[in-house]
Amino acid sequence: MHNIFINLYKYRELIAALTWKNIVIRYKQAYLGILWAVLKPIMLMLVFTLVKSFVGIETGGLPYPLITFAALIPWVFFQESVSEGVNSVTSNASLIKKIYFPREVFPLTAMVTKLVELLISFAILAGMMIYYQVMPTVQAVWIPAFVLYTMIVALTISFFGAAMNVYYRDIGQAIPIALSLLMYGSPVIYPLSLVQQKLVIEQAAGAWSNDLYFLYTLNPLVGIIDGFQSALIRATQPDFDVIYPGLILILTILPFSYWFFKRAESWFADVI
Amino acid sequence: MAIIEVNHLTKEYQLGHLTSLKETALNTLRRLAFQPVHERELFKALDDVNFHIDEGEVVGIIGHNGAGKSTLLKHLANISNPTKGEVIVRGSVAPLIEVGAGVNPELTGRENIYLNGAILGIPKKVIQQKLDEIIDFSELEQFIDTPVKRYSSGMTVKLGFSIATSMEADILIIDEVLAVGDLAFQRKCFDRMEDLIRRQGKTVLLVSHNIRQIERLCNRVILLSKGSVIGDGDANSLCAKFYQANDKKISIDSSTTLSLANNNEWATGEIHLKDIKIINSSGNSITELKHTQAVTIKLVYEVKNLVRHPMFGVGIHTTDFIYLATQQSINQLKIEKLDIGIYEFNFEIESFPFMPGVYSIRAGVAEGSASRTIFYAENLLHFQVISENLADKTWNEGLVPLPGTWTYAAA
Repeated sequence: MHNIFINLYKYRELIAALTWKNIVIRYKQAYLGILWAVLKPIMLMLVFTLVKSFVGIETGGLPYPLITFAALIPWVFFQESVSEGVNSVTSNASLIKKIYFPREVFPLTAMVTKLVELLISFAILAGMMIYYQVMPTVQAVWIPAFVLYTMIVALTISFFGAAMNVYYRDIGQAIPIALSLLMYGSPVIYPLSLVQQKLVIEQAAGAWSNDLYFLYTLNPLVGIIDGFQSALIRATQPDFDVIYPGLILILTILPFSYWFFKRAESWFADVI
Repeated sequence: MAIIEVNHLTKEYQLGHLTSLKETALNTLRRLAFQPVHERELFKALDDVNFHIDEGEVVGIIGHNGAGKSTLLKHLANISNPTKGEVIVRGSVAPLIEVGAGVNPELTGRENIYLNGAILGIPKKVIQQKLDEIIDFSELEQFIDTPVKRYSSGMTVKLGFSIATSMEADILIIDEVLAVGDLAFQRKCFDRMEDLIRRQGKTVLLVSHNIRQIERLCNRVILLSKGSVIGDGDANSLCAKFYQANDKKISIDSSTTLSLANNNEWATGEIHLKDIKIINSSGNSITELKHTQAVTIKLVYEVKNLVRHPMFGVGIHTTDFIYLATQQSINQLKIEKLDIGIYEFNFEIESFPFMPGVYSIRAGVAEGSASRTIFYAENLLHFQVISENLADKTWNEGLVPLPGTWTYAAA
């Protein structure tokens, strides 16, 4: 397992070069360049804000665009990392057939590429925070930890998905659908407090309420998104009760996912 | 200790493609019911391959298409994993498998040098030091900041070769890369290869269909056929063996696939070639003859309309259509006219002049004083000239022997 980190260090130049290539190629002939990368969260934020004006969502007195954008930052980072990561092996078929280096470089590169785009999103969030006069507090130190956690979640899915995608291209087709469903299962459009209100306090699902809530928190994105909002906008300690179920689940799956990837790796060149 | 060890290497591939969901479900059901399942056929790309290569050796790998050469290189470069057996490589490997594997069309030449360097595992510092040298070697100074997608294909390969050979590794693996660029650049590549081999003493594995290059660069050759090693040793003798096997293949392929008068035939219909044979001195039809052997080419023509003053010609050409020699009947046969019927013409060769290899026959007929062509065909009959003794090495150094006499004296 610690091989990941050794390889990450050993192949840092390769990962850096491939990341740089991904970014350069993607935006080379585009006039707006890398700004396209942040257009997605901004557009989603605008749409959600529009929807919110019809349905009315309780945000605890905080500006809705800000709270949504704070949720969209980790969500879009996660979503893009996973969809790039799952396709990263198949889209580099020509390299895989010709040169050997540890194949986990590809999902890792996909993620690092998205990390660069994430930084730009943060710059925009900073601008919004100034506009709404919401100042970050010392709680913001949690943010790097949440980014790392998001990367681990994305890697866990990418390793398994990328390896499967080599054999069954169905995975690459299924991932966008699964991800868009998962967005509704994560507190992106609505705040987590709404779910807590319904399930924990009002017990809306009767005897099943607490189990349902536990199931909901198994989704690691729930803890991540709520944590992001807490640490940046609400200036409170992240709610760890929401984080643990997902975190434990992911840390249990990650070794298996990595093991599966390494096992499948030796046949990539033959099958791809 | 050997720098490369290959022990009992076997690689199997499944033929056909991924089965559908239905097929998979049916197979599972069959397995549950203990019934035989439809297994996909296995193909042995490499079959129990064994060899050791010592440091500093320059080894050529030759064989027909599909003999397993590239599969073998893929195993040495750790791209594929063996089905059975093991491959031990003690040292860093620079794969040149298809130059330009990592060249990205969107990036400029300079950007590609950095990217490719990273892919090949060259530290950035080393690339920066060697940047000028690489650009210089590639002859692309003027275009180095232009995206590669605007390069000609030759320029792309030049760039790829320049990057790949600047890498410092213990073992170089080269797959058909010397066939790059124009003649002048090929020469340069060849010189660089020789430099890597002779002066820097690297271990090199070379795959090429250009046997002459292999003969020149390598001191050892591994001959593969259908996934097995059928020869391993001295470059010269194995290349000779390969040439002969090759020639035989051409002649066997063609004698079964080519029928009479099939290629480049042009005829007015007045005369028709019915049969063509090469006959030895005892009167038997042959397809294999020895250098300097006496043979007769027998042509059987069927005349369908009266032909006046016909003139016949017969010639020998190589399989790639270089016309080597021709003889016409104009000064030897004075025929007033040929009535409708079947005629046999014999052309006797006292001593067959060409060196071992595969050749073919062309023939033609012209009519009248104006020499109007009424029949012409090439590639009529393939035959092989074999060498009487394999040790005689001059046989693949030309098409005809050079007559002359050697003398020497103290000057």
